[in-house]
Amino acid sequence: MELNGQSGVSPREVNPAHIVAVMNFSADTLRSIIAHMEVSTEFEHLVYREAELDAIWSITGFFLVNEPDSSQREAVKRLHAGALRAHDLVADRRPEDAATVLRTFL
Amino acid sequence: MTWWRTAALRTQPRFCEPFCNLEPDGDGMLSRQENELLTQIDSGTEAGEYFRRFWLPALLPTEVPTPDCPPVRVRLLGEDLVAFRDTNGRVGLLEEACPHRRASLFWGRNEECGLRCVYHGWKFDVSGICVDMPNEPQEYRFDNKVRTTAYPTCEYGGLVWVYMGPPEHRPELPKLEWARVPQSHRYVSKRLQETNYLQAIEGGIDSSHSNFLHASLDAFRLTDSYVEKVKNSSNLRAKYHLLDKAPWFTVKKTDYGLVIAVRRNAEENSYYWRLTQFLLPSHTIIPYQAGHSINGHCWVPRDDQTCWVWTVSWNPDAPLSLVDFEMIQDESFVHARVDPATFKPVRNRENQYMVDREQQRTTTMTGIHGFASQDQAIQESMGPIVDRTRERLGTSDTAIIAMRRLLLQEIRGLAQACEPFAARHGDVYWVRSASLLLKRNVEFDEGARDLMKAEV
Repeated sequence: MELNGQSGVSPREVNPAHIVAVMNFSADTLRSIIAHMEVSTEFEHLVYREAELDAIWSITGFFLVNEPDSSQREAVKRLHAGALRAHDLVADRRPEDAATVLRTFL
Repeated sequence: MTWWRTAALRTQPRFCEPFCNLEPDGDGMLSRQENELLTQIDSGTEAGEYFRRFWLPALLPTEVPTPDCPPVRVRLLGEDLVAFRDTNGRVGLLEEACPHRRASLFWGRNEECGLRCVYHGWKFDVSGICVDMPNEPQEYRFDNKVRTTAYPTCEYGGLVWVYMGPPEHRPELPKLEWARVPQSHRYVSKRLQETNYLQAIEGGIDSSHSNFLHASLDAFRLTDSYVEKVKNSSNLRAKYHLLDKAPWFTVKKTDYGLVIAVRRNAEENSYYWRLTQFLLPSHTIIPYQAGHSINGHCWVPRDDQTCWVWTVSWNPDAPLSLVDFEMIQDESFVHARVDPATFKPVRNRENQYMVDREQQRTTTMTGIHGFASQDQAIQESMGPIVDRTRERLGTSDTAIIAMRRLLLQEIRGLAQACEPFAARHGDVYWVRSASLLLKRNVEFDEGARDLMKAEV
């Protein structure tokens, strides 16, 4: 399969006008968001990326509240903060930098 | 690394636990600074200056019905004003405080083409010029040199509009369809909402709430009788909301603002689309189904903590029908009955919106009558300015995210001397919402292009 950068998703599968279904904060979900970020250029695309990062931030936030003793807590906390950083970069029209931030969690 | 792969799905929110430990500075996806930038509208604030680049609905003509009638108070964008209709029928909108000793011009006499302060007799015309200063000796009068703050007004579309910005940036009037139909084709109402304007707009473009907040219990539970009733219904919204509870959201930036498109599966070969417009700075149009009247809102900041909700129903082709007026009268949809002096809704926070808990138990989600009161109750419950740093948004909030991002761009743009395009191009408002079936291979902006053109 032809790879799209480091995201592991074929560019033929990536339509930046589609919103990634964020059901969890798995590596697959992050890869898909990263792949969409890499091809996002328009106002609308960036809004969808913001929405996806909002969802990642929300569910990591819920995880941190509900799983205070989890061994994954520190890692999820970093992802939670990373989603916020990436979100601000997307809002600043810097999706490639946002993708770089998210890639550190793969 | 896959350590979180399964963890999230096990995670269910426990709302009893606060998030404040998580974000000690309280900053979430919309920062405190951005929330303030969007919601503060006094003169001199960035959003306040942005709103002051547009014509805004200010009052109903019936509030100042006849020449030389009593003046009325109007609060807009954090400014206390007084409106009056002069002897020639022109509507003036002046700063409420007289520039002499700051007494209220609300107590003034509206006489012979001017509003006279009853404290010392200074009199102002609709342009704010002091045309008489009788308490000063003739040789010391400086009446022609005194001017109070006055804003230009315009009667248009059944409303009095005001422009509160710099004269050199005076915009065009928005060519909204409802403003250009004959008076008999249109009904406009005004109500006070005790929240910042932004959360009112957010309610207006949040397509996913209607399946819950405005639903009957039968619709929410999908009872057999409800399914039977709507499955062959001509009400496309009811029918296709039933078939697809998880719609697909998309937004498109336009010259006037945004079109928000929500797609649901319909028949084997088709999608059901509902298209809502958000028109800068704060108009919305509810998805319209051919053959019915169209409804829309304009949410005008009164101050940071309250807004005026202007609600319009119109039919471009014919006078509003008896059915339309019945819906208006019984408050079942977008209009609500108000106190005629204060415009505060009859159903309000003080009387708990007249909630009927028995009706809530047996019939509707809220037990509150009418969409307008349901919206108002839930939006006011969030506080006057909702703390957006503590929100948890998901992908169904895409329209809200897009609207905020667009407004932030526009507000910041103006702060860098980029004048808002829509304010100077009234033609871009010549649009209409839509709801329709389209073949699955047709994009909404192609398939609905003709329907989204206003026709008067």
